[in-house]
Amino acid sequence: MKINSLVKIACISTAFVLGACSSDDDATPIISIDEPTTYVFERNGESTVSFGGQTTRIAMAEIIIDQLKKEMQTEAALDAMFDHQEGNADFDDADLNASSKSVRSKTAASKDYFSDNATDASAIKGDFDGWIKSQVDNVFPNWEVSAAAGTAGVIQEAGGGSNRYVNAKGLELNQAFAKGLIGALMADQALNNYLSTDVLDEAENVANNNNGTVEEGKNYTKMEHKWDEAYGYLYGAATDKANPNATIGGDDSFLNKYIGRVEGDTDFAGIAKEIFDAFKLGRAAIVAKQYTIRDQQAAIIREKISEVIAVRAVYYLQQGKNGLEENTVDHASVFHDLSEGYGFIYSLQFTRKPGTNAPYFTKTEVEGLINQLMGGTNGLWDVTPATLQAISDTIASEFSFTVAQAGS
Amino acid sequence: MKKFLFSVFTIALLATGCSSGDDAGEVTDSFNRKAMLENIADNIIIPGYENFKNDLTALKTATSEFVAVTNEVNLISLREAWSTAHISWQAVSVFEIGKAESISFRNFMNVYPVNAANIETNITSGSYDLATISQQDEQGFGALDYLINGVSDSDAVIVGVYTDATNGAKYKTYLTDLINRMDDLTTQVVDDWKGTYRNNFVDNSGSSATSSLDKLVNDFIFHYEKHLRAGKIGIPAGVFSGTPLDTKVEAFYKKDLSKTLFNANLDALQDFFNGKHFGKTTSGESLSTYLKFLNTIKGGEDLSTLINNQFSKARSTASALNADLSAQVRSNNDLMLNTYDELQKNVVLLKVDMLQAISVKVDFVDADGD
Repeated sequence: MKINSLVKIACISTAFVLGACSSDDDATPIISIDEPTTYVFERNGESTVSFGGQTTRIAMAEIIIDQLKKEMQTEAALDAMFDHQEGNADFDDADLNASSKSVRSKTAASKDYFSDNATDASAIKGDFDGWIKSQVDNVFPNWEVSAAAGTAGVIQEAGGGSNRYVNAKGLELNQAFAKGLIGALMADQALNNYLSTDVLDEAENVANNNNGTVEEGKNYTKMEHKWDEAYGYLYGAATDKANPNATIGGDDSFLNKYIGRVEGDTDFAGIAKEIFDAFKLGRAAIVAKQYTIRDQQAAIIREKISEVIAVRAVYYLQQGKNGLEENTVDHASVFHDLSEGYGFIYSLQFTRKPGTNAPYFTKTEVEGLINQLMGGTNGLWDVTPATLQAISDTIASEFSFTVAQAGS
Repeated sequence: MKKFLFSVFTIALLATGCSSGDDAGEVTDSFNRKAMLENIADNIIIPGYENFKNDLTALKTATSEFVAVTNEVNLISLREAWSTAHISWQAVSVFEIGKAESISFRNFMNVYPVNAANIETNITSGSYDLATISQQDEQGFGALDYLINGVSDSDAVIVGVYTDATNGAKYKTYLTDLINRMDDLTTQVVDDWKGTYRNNFVDNSGSSATSSLDKLVNDFIFHYEKHLRAGKIGIPAGVFSGTPLDTKVEAFYKKDLSKTLFNANLDALQDFFNGKHFGKTTSGESLSTYLKFLNTIKGGEDLSTLINNQFSKARSTASALNADLSAQVRSNNDLMLNTYDELQKNVVLLKVDMLQAISVKVDFVDADGD
């Protein structure tokens, strides 16, 4: 196989045609994938890349996590933002209000994990609903109350730092919600839905992609579009959507942000490029009808995104552990780290072990880890450094990084 | 490697040339599809329709009696006849092929939930055309359910509605019009099967997209997904909406019949899969025998057995459900979701593994909402 980079887009359509005919030829098939330098793919001079729905859902999710910190908000209004219905004035943005997209409908909704598991899908949606409800019922009324073990309220970080609003167990529910969504929405949809061969190859997708048959009224084949929708859950809010690594980490509060954070740790430098390159080559492989190469790239993306989630889970657990080991414990800071860690641990159930149809940690295993973290009478007020270390070890042992690498 | 630069024209030519190369359609195995179609037509579909037609005739008679002598005794008889016919319907509702397909039989017979407000408007105005598509949720079994179970919780009040000096006659007229239409549509379908269609169906035994088997198998899977899995369980359980919808069950007003209807339909679909003769214990050529003939193995197990096991799993999970699925949704929706999940597992076996084995292409796609 030869991969040519930096070739004009026009050549991609050439390779595409060759691929279509190669299976009918007696000669050795020619495999040629012309990979562009940026995520730019065109047909007849027009872009074939489209992922507006993902950009919209990321925008909605940003508003929801922001509004979860406005103590005057009602549960009904927050529920309506989460489960937006087309035309309802749930947001201050007319375009979002007009949109048919909703965050909740795509939460725990991937084909591979949830099409025959509506039971878990419903329970997971229920977790997010519960975080909203508990924030409104328990945390908002105590907005001015000092938090203590067993009492929800506000707690300030040392040195005149940020106020953190926690429930009676020291958990910031808005953080659980936001970081949980990274797994339940972004990773689940990208890894377990749009990169799934069941979705990419559904019905006539392969034949249509082989023949260049585009969707009605669109310039893309269905398979191309599915792949782009996975891409959109990482880069849908990017400043330059064709070259998103220029601003990686700065474009949203979700997966994009934490790819950037992990990239910033020297132990993992290069991971952002690996992820982007796999998306780009996989998309070029679809154009060239090289589905084995496509699926190899999907496997890379699944592994790396799963790793991002796990690294951040361990990172925050270790930050919390370090905080607890200080002479003077800054509880607000520790709770903030552990609340983020909570969300990333929750997200582990949506990761994807390449070559399997399973996450690195099942829903039940995740519940076990959360129980370890929160199991004391007063939750995070009671958790010990030893417990945080034990959870960190358990997570890292399933991946190819060490606790020390992730924790710094 | 050489670089090729074709003009758009050349590309178009090549693309066209390539596409003609992947024609599917020739018979790929020596299974006797015609014998299977004969078994399905003669031992399942036609006797199923005859049985349904009989029960519908009984329902028509019970309606006439209730209209003539409007009292609680006749209301109860009418209700029993309605339940019986509604259950028999479950054995034939999957066969949306031939005349049934051309007249949209299922949509005129059994759309739910119905629009009660529009039904009331139809009754009081006396102006409606039941043949129009927009009136599908004002007729059929669901509309009858509303008329004999839903206008009040009390039988005395229901009877009072039909004997009311001002509007009673209008209710009787609407009730009669509904059952007459159902009878008329059913007669058309049954007559067609017992006339020319049976041979057309059996003789169309090839393997193109329009062959009887390809169409029927697609109808079967479509019905399994949309009408059994989604309509009877998934939609009320909120699988597609994210929130449970307890008013969307079948036979909503009767309350305690929805589980029976589900089970009847589940049985009918499994019996169809196994080629089990209607109302008998014998069976003939079927999708199941076809898979056995092909010796289709999945993960070391016989695919036909796996599918039957999954039917059984769904049935045993559903056995814990309340007779009133609407009440079940409200009291413990998890049981509904569990049932849905077991039903969904067979979609994969039927739609992917079975269709691949018997070389049938899916002619419909799930809308994924994106």
